Amino acid sequence: MPGFDFSNHPRNLALHSRGVPLPKATSTGTTIVGCLYSGGVVIAADTRATSGPIVADKNCEKLHYISPQIWCAGAGTAADTEFTTALISSNLELHALSTGRKPRVVTVMTMLKQHLFRYQGHIGAYLVVAGCDPTGAHLFTVHAHGSTDKLPYVTMGSGSLAAMSVFETQWTNEMSRDAAVKLCAEAIQAGIWNDLGSGSNVDVCVITQEKTELLRNYITPNVREKKMRDYKFARGTTAVLDQRVITKEEISKYVTVQEIGDEEVVGEKMEVDS
Amino acid sequence: MASLFHAPMPSTGPGYSFSAQPTAASAPRQHAGFYPYTDNGGSTLGISGATFTILAGDTRSTSGYNINTRHAPKLFKIGGEGPDNLNARIVLSVVGFAADGNALKERLDTVVKMYRYQHGKEISVHACAQRLSHILYGKRFFPYYVTAILGGLDEEGKGALYSYDPVGSYEREQCRAAGAASSLIMPFLDNQVNLKNQYDPMSGQGLEKVQRVPEPLPKETVEEIVRDAFTSAVERHIEVGDGLQMMVITKEGIEETFSPLKED
Amino acid sequence: MFIARSEYDRGINTFSPEGRLFQVEYSLEAIKLGSTAIGVATSHGVILGVEKRITSSLLETSSVEKIVEIDRHIGCAMSGLQADARSMVEHARVTSQSHEFHYNERLGVESCTQAICDLALRFGEGAEGEESIMSRPFGVALLIAGFDEQGPSLYHAEPSGTFYRYDAKAIGSGSEGAQAELQNEFHKSLSLGEAEVMVLKTLKQVMEEKLDSKNVQLASVTKEKGFRIYGDEEMAGVVGRLEGN
Repeated sequence: MPGFDFSNHPRNLALHSRGVPLPKATSTGTTIVGCLYSGGVVIAADTRATSGPIVADKNCEKLHYISPQIWCAGAGTAADTEFTTALISSNLELHALSTGRKPRVVTVMTMLKQHLFRYQGHIGAYLVVAGCDPTGAHLFTVHAHGSTDKLPYVTMGSGSLAAMSVFETQWTNEMSRDAAVKLCAEAIQAGIWNDLGSGSNVDVCVITQEKTELLRNYITPNVREKKMRDYKFARGTTAVLDQRVITKEEISKYVTVQEIGDEEVVGEKMEVDS
Repeated sequence: MASLFHAPMPSTGPGYSFSAQPTAASAPRQHAGFYPYTDNGGSTLGISGATFTILAGDTRSTSGYNINTRHAPKLFKIGGEGPDNLNARIVLSVVGFAADGNALKERLDTVVKMYRYQHGKEISVHACAQRLSHILYGKRFFPYYVTAILGGLDEEGKGALYSYDPVGSYEREQCRAAGAASSLIMPFLDNQVNLKNQYDPMSGQGLEKVQRVPEPLPKETVEEIVRDAFTSAVERHIEVGDGLQMMVITKEGIEETFSPLKED
Repeated sequence: MFIARSEYDRGINTFSPEGRLFQVEYSLEAIKLGSTAIGVATSHGVILGVEKRITSSLLETSSVEKIVEIDRHIGCAMSGLQADARSMVEHARVTSQSHEFHYNERLGVESCTQAICDLALRFGEGAEGEESIMSRPFGVALLIAGFDEQGPSLYHAEPSGTFYRYDAKAIGSGSEGAQAELQNEFHKSLSLGEAEVMVLKTLKQVMEEKLDSKNVQLASVTKEKGFRIYGDEEMAGVVGRLEGN
């Protein structure tokens, strides 16, 4: 039951050789960034999800929970970033439980890279991992093939160049929390405006040793203007081809009644710790 | 329009439900080769009324995930005087490969101006439409990679709108959307302009219901529909945005406006 | 004087010192040898009429074609070297068909005339650097009648490549007398029937033979019926309306 099911692989290979293309997955076109600052670490993301040139979701969440003090920004195939982070989050919880310690960011990074490397890039997850643990604040990138980086500021996704241009011109060492948040938001906006794969709003997550703040829709610079016309259709605009009214009295005609006798109904009992 | 040109080649292969064309794994390309076409995205639309024609297009030019410019017009006045095409009465909109669009507009403009010199009168939209078709078909085997819409007023002063496929098949229509978001906008136009799938609420029940009858829309209504079509396309298509260029052709002339669209 | 002239009258692209192109001027003389052709434009349509010179009683009169169709709405009458007119008419027909193909509308009468006159000048190099395609100018003049969105119109095209629009025009051997007659008789409110009679009456005056329904030919261009050459019965009818016939 757990893990991937490869039973359709030979069939799909045969279809592919006959010219049937692979189904298109929803990709999170995406700009994601991360930045260390003196008191912790900030990550941010845009909220556009695309399928080819079509916007699939105007306000999706690309900041994924790993543990209370470790969060992940994901780019690439939406399903892969979602499932990979959920899987690692789950395993990390177990790991934390069995070790009895707070989980570390390097651990997350290592689990992710090992998982992704095993699948040789077929799992299209591109991640920015950030968090605070007893060894300090950390920021990593993990690529789909399993390579990783540890840097003070990072960008990923189709808008990574636009976002990096902001970091490369404005980043300074030992920034304040507010300056780091502002810089990350600026970097995401560079992606939103200049990269077609990114758009809509800015999500930010600030992690310190003390707490984690998820600033969902921190900036919303793309609110839709009011439509010029009203598109409410008058009642009766759609043709109703068939209509049947079933009265309460008639309902018995549609119900099959089965007698079960006097046997005691045995249901599953919930096990409760005593 | 365009139905023949874009239909997939008939094949004996399996039917599939995915939107993409077969990648033809059986016949891989021999060499990378020279591929001179680019898709510059964007969308256009045209609606004709009783005494006017409106054409519109967004002003974004893209290549891949990049924006080339936010101010590239897709609507051109044809056959006017001087560099600003004064007194023109015909508008051409082109969407697809921008370089071909510009080349096509230059050619048609020249042809229309030559027509005036040679025949001593203004060309009719009707004649211009036929000529444009021939220009496009003339490059049947190295096409102008564009979807064109031509708008103006006919000899009776009614709105005239002609839409084309890249190799010259054309048709006079009430309304047409073209380009990247055409599949998003066209159904909206069918419903709002030609009142498709709308039945008269006052007319009986079920199969007795009567389809609502479309009638020519006033200019103000059409302008609102056009703007709503584009603001909606911007929401759901990444290649549409930045600016909205509109041209309204009436017997008084052509009124051109630019208004902003979302830039994300 | 005669010697000097002969030096310059061979080359068709060479002006004489007096500024004349003798070959072009001679071509105009060729027209004066041709049979008379007359065109009259009314507000309802244009009438073309020509005399057919029946040089032999054995000649099949219907084979003398001096009025021809260019398109459904344009026709022409000729005077001069008929063979030359064949190439001009062919060019006009192709131009008209090409225009309709490209623009899905009928060619204007003036544009048609212009196209013919462009060809008339092709004894020299063409306007766009085309090579000369003829060794000499045409020896024929045309009366081009048509009906377009501007209404009916009549044009006279010469081998020199110039053309003018006329209300009424006569060309050919009897043109001088005929033109004077037209000058006197023409007025703006002419009906089509009156124009038919006027054309025949004028032809009758300048023809050597006695006019009958066999040695003249009429054609008309109207909005309703376009260009139409009159049949034998119709010819007989119009000739019958002539006084003294």
